[in-house]
Amino acid sequence: MAGGESWRPPRPCEDYWWEWRHCRGLRHAFHHYYAHGQLPACARWRDDYTACRAWESGRAAAAQEALCKSERARVEEKQKYAPVWTFRKSPPPEWYLPLDQDNAK
Amino acid sequence: MHRAGTLPAGARPAAAPQREGEEEEQGSAAHAPLPCRRGRWPGRGGRGAAMAAEGGAPPPGRGEEEEDDLGYRLFPDRKKKPQSFLVRSLFTFHNRCQLMLRMSLETKIDCGNVFLDPYAQLLLAAMKQSGCTVFNDRHFSCENCDGCVSGGFDSATSQIVLCQNNIRQQSHMNRVVAHELIHAFDHCRAHVDWFKNVKHLACSEIRAANLSGDCTLMNEIARFKFGLKAHHQTCVRDRAIRSILAVRKVSRETAEKAVDEVFDACFNDLEPFGRIPHSKADARRAYKDFLNRDRYNANL
Repeated sequence: MAGGESWRPPRPCEDYWWEWRHCRGLRHAFHHYYAHGQLPACARWRDDYTACRAWESGRAAAAQEALCKSERARVEEKQKYAPVWTFRKSPPPEWYLPLDQDNAK
Repeated sequence: MHRAGTLPAGARPAAAPQREGEEEEQGSAAHAPLPCRRGRWPGRGGRGAAMAAEGGAPPPGRGEEEEDDLGYRLFPDRKKKPQSFLVRSLFTFHNRCQLMLRMSLETKIDCGNVFLDPYAQLLLAAMKQSGCTVFNDRHFSCENCDGCVSGGFDSATSQIVLCQNNIRQQSHMNRVVAHELIHAFDHCRAHVDWFKNVKHLACSEIRAANLSGDCTLMNEIARFKFGLKAHHQTCVRDRAIRSILAVRKVSRETAEKAVDEVFDACFNDLEPFGRIPHSKADARRAYKDFLNRDRYNANL
């Protein structure tokens, strides 16, 4: 976590508020049930919004720590599964080749 | 000229009304022809979603082929010389395809409204960030295709093929473009073995069906497939299997096994969206988060 005076919340506080309102909406609940078979859990967004506002108003270290922990947990959840393929370090070399050269392969 | 790329093609019945979710033949260049309920495509080895959307049955006679043409049979124009400008303009839907493609990809500002399709907008930005800037005239090609395929990604030439004779509506074009751009994005960011590794193919198909809007509730209802609880996953799985069978000469069991093995990892791989976009609003939000990624990563 980038600490120190240069740190700021990973997302603007308005984004946390929006995500929480969106999560609690009927449309999102329906889509989440359609995609995952269960209703969404939205309390985390509310907690993140509260921590964000607490940091904005008082620069509370506890709020910063809670927010970082929550966001890192989100990232870890996305990395739960091992990727199927190996990632490239550079784009494919033939991407920009003119079509004639590609065809010649 | 040998085209070894996989060519996922979105197969979509040309006459299907509002059938955004129609099976899209995603053809990997080197895959077996996509199955199409309406008839086989002879075609280049592309993996295309079975145009035969609902049925999804492998085309008859698929097992009779001696060699896997990797789906290229579905895209016969890939091996032909380009037509003359006049013939192409007067006797094909090339101009309509190009116009719809521009509507999908380009930003227009009209009275303050942005008309760019947010799915394509995010995918183009993500690909540019990965080092694969997409150029309309180099990386897209409007061609006539066989059967019910809507499009495909030819990894041999790094081109997205759009079937001008089968894409009739702008919404359909948007979805095909998003679907194929996801394949292109995967090709750009990872070593995807389109030809030899069925699991890689399965993974890209799962992601494309999941994130392009293929499996929205309305699209599924239009295909007369009804379901609610976690039906999105059922749709993604079925479409991925159908796409593999379309472009590869493998048995249904092999395709199902490959999809099942990689489903968890690939269904939850939501790059570059970060969420499953169920609507354009979700896609716009995902684009906003994408623009914020530097701040996000720096302050974790």
